[in-house]
Amino acid sequence: MLNGFIDKLIGKNKSKDIAKKRLQFALIYDKLDISEEILGNLQQDIIEVVSRYFIIDKKSLTLDIQRERNFSALVVNTPIIKAVRREVGKKATA
Amino acid sequence: MNGKTIVITSGKGGVGKSTATANIGAALAMEGNRVAVIDMDIGLRNLDVLLGLENRIVYTIVDAAKGRCKIKQAAIKDKKIDNLFLIPASQSDNKDVLTTEEITNLCEKLRKEFDFILLDCPAGIEKGFQNSVAAADEAVVICTPEVSSVRDADRVIGLLYARSITPKLVVNRIVPEMVERGDMLSHEDVVDILSIDLIGLVPMDEQVVISTNTGVPLVTQKDSKAGEALRRIAYRLNGQPDLPIEVPTVKKSFWKTKINFRFGGKK
Ligand SMILES: Nc1ncnc2c1ncn2[C@@H]1O[C@H](COP(=O)(O)OP(=O)(O)O)[C@@H](O)[C@H]1O
Ligand SMILES: [Mg+2]
Repeated sequence: MLNGFIDKLIGKNKSKDIAKKRLQFALIYDKLDISEEILGNLQQDIIEVVSRYFIIDKKSLTLDIQRERNFSALVVNTPIIKAVRREVGKKATA
Repeated sequence: MNGKTIVITSGKGGVGKSTATANIGAALAMEGNRVAVIDMDIGLRNLDVLLGLENRIVYTIVDAAKGRCKIKQAAIKDKKIDNLFLIPASQSDNKDVLTTEEITNLCEKLRKEFDFILLDCPAGIEKGFQNSVAAADEAVVICTPEVSSVRDADRVIGLLYARSITPKLVVNRIVPEMVERGDMLSHEDVVDILSIDLIGLVPMDEQVVISTNTGVPLVTQKDSKAGEALRRIAYRLNGQPDLPIEVPTVKKSFWKTKINFRFGGKK
């Protein structure tokens, strides 16, 4: 994958930083049995859902999996520009 | 006597398990402990060569575990170091000849004769690994600062946890020059990824190769960086758990740096 999910997160770095990021992702993939593609799709879906409620800077949304021995946490981080105006009581749509 | 059984393992091959087993075993024996080092790599024995005992093998771990000889007959006494014994692997058997029960029973008996029993685990996570781990009370995981080695170490650590063993980590073959310029994972990076406690950091050292040439463990020499690091691991296992862990650093001498660098680059 040319513009791969990992590549974007890794950026240009010292080779050991690349090694570290690759390892962190490899271990997540090994453990959770998910692929880079699935993570990319998840990121797209999250952007879509969050965008129904907030205007966000889509490019700076980051998705990260923090891994401990006993659990993994999905951490989504995004700057919010402002809320999407919508009528009270009505479900938001994209 | 109620000895401790420690498995030295890594997942990946060629990262320094046998080197560590031979040297830590030798250092523990030099401290006055009765030590048995066991080559669990059936079919591909190695530990005998590292200790210079390859010409003395009569019986093997397979014979001892299957009751075809007495333990005393299979345990070869080291040439120079008192209290150090090698139980060699057999070269002709299939790697899966031993059952878990045979190994655990053998180690139970060894516990009564030795203070430390070090199991040099084969690479991989199959039967030989499972047998070694089943017989062990404690584990030392060895890895090098490379992606594939750290990944395999993570897998092995997970398997050890599943058996209620909390392993300690050795990072081997550290090239300080490469760490300094950002071309090798530092030990902090490795610990960060694996999140387990360290028990030692061993630099890349030409002396390791020289010592395998001669069949004399490095810890018997005074002026080797890797030997010193391995000796300190033995001390930590032998009742000094808080002995500070020295981080391999770039040597200031121009020539030494140059030699080390070339060695590091070859792999
Ligand atoms: N700290 C070190 N510096 C230099 N060479 C090393 C070091 N540790 C191990 N080696 C070399 O790496 C190779 C593999 O080591 P070995 O102990 O046989 O690994 P394993 O038992 O895990 O397969 C050997 O050639 C050994 O001499
Ligand atoms: Mg070996």
